[in-house]
Amino acid sequence: MDYSKVLRNNNKIVSRTGGQRQGPQYTSDLSLRFVLSGSERYDIGRRHLSIYPDSFLILNRGTQYSTDTDLDQQVQSFAINFDQQFLQDFKDCWTFDHDSLLDKGNGNGKVQPEFNETIYPFAGDIKYNVFHLKQHLDDGMQDEMLINEYLHHTLINYFHIYNDEICKKAEKLDFLNQGTRVEILRRLNLAKEFLYSNYNQNISLEDLAEHACLSVNHLLRTFKQAFGLTPHQFLIQLRLKRSLMLLKDTRYPVNEVVGMVGFECPSSFIRLFRTHYKITPLKYRQSA
Amino acid sequence: MKLKYIPVYTADFEEQINFYTQKLGFRITGTMTFYEGRESTVIRSDKLNVALLVTNNDSNSDKSNIIINTADCLNDYHALRTAGVFFCKSPAYLPAGLAAEFLDPAGNKFMLLEERNYNEQ
Repeated sequence: MDYSKVLRNNNKIVSRTGGQRQGPQYTSDLSLRFVLSGSERYDIGRRHLSIYPDSFLILNRGTQYSTDTDLDQQVQSFAINFDQQFLQDFKDCWTFDHDSLLDKGNGNGKVQPEFNETIYPFAGDIKYNVFHLKQHLDDGMQDEMLINEYLHHTLINYFHIYNDEICKKAEKLDFLNQGTRVEILRRLNLAKEFLYSNYNQNISLEDLAEHACLSVNHLLRTFKQAFGLTPHQFLIQLRLKRSLMLLKDTRYPVNEVVGMVGFECPSSFIRLFRTHYKITPLKYRQSA
Repeated sequence: MKLKYIPVYTADFEEQINFYTQKLGFRITGTMTFYEGRESTVIRSDKLNVALLVTNNDSNSDKSNIIINTADCLNDYHALRTAGVFFCKSPAYLPAGLAAEFLDPAGNKFMLLEERNYNEQ
């Protein structure tokens, strides 16, 4: 369903079906971009990011971007833009809650999350909340109090994801300096989003390292430290996870799915799939 | 066999029944006597598919803990709050899902729980 809803507090929700190219534009507020079916490409400077239903993108206020989709794809996208004031109120109450537990009266000392503009996993609570919200809006619900309740919770969920994906992963890096950890993790996220966006291509380690502005050795070592997997293992898991979506939601034959998610050989795909999920792709499709 | 009634005790019978019927959408379906000299009122909610047995008890020492399953915790939390139910815990995330809690006038605790599967592939 297509609609664009601006709430009285200037939070904005946009739902769009069907792909269309949108030329360069600026985000006016912090924006969360979801794709519920198909995929959508975002071009931000030199970065080309593809969003699938298992991931979402954060865009900061003032980021220039353009979007595009494949012509033959049915794309359903959903975007939430948070008004500055709403976001500030949320941050104040969030930091207040957490400061009061740690360090009374020193609200300024707390480092507020910088919104790292990258791709995050779309799963768990944020997914439940966004789907509930979208269902209500599709049904024509108008109660802004309730809509804002969902938006408030979406921010809570995002802060938790940020904590898991950025803060906790930076902690795992073996560097003494906090600044170094944050910078390395930022570059590792460039590598991760490159994998998310090009998972079905042949990706060489050199390409990946260049995209992340790290040397190959450095990338291999730090990627494993932060994410617990080598880039290759991460890529295989991502391909397998996306093959689940294709097996469940489309009718492409298994042999075609193999190529669509970037595997070359059906037998190795089936072997990996079976090892990972303890079921064959065909049986998974039949049971899904 | 099936689970049929959940007993709740109250010192202020009137207030308790009003809370259940006006705010939670229960209706009175009859009375029953379980113990000598003490009558209980049966109230039913078709939406929740449950019957409560409200019994007057001046000492009011027995409290019940009732967990209501919901498909959308934030939505029902909002609807109940609009109807005037005061929540002692606003929606928060548990390992089992999203849950909010309110008390009835006699202090019985109701949890509104939306179970969520976090191991989805």
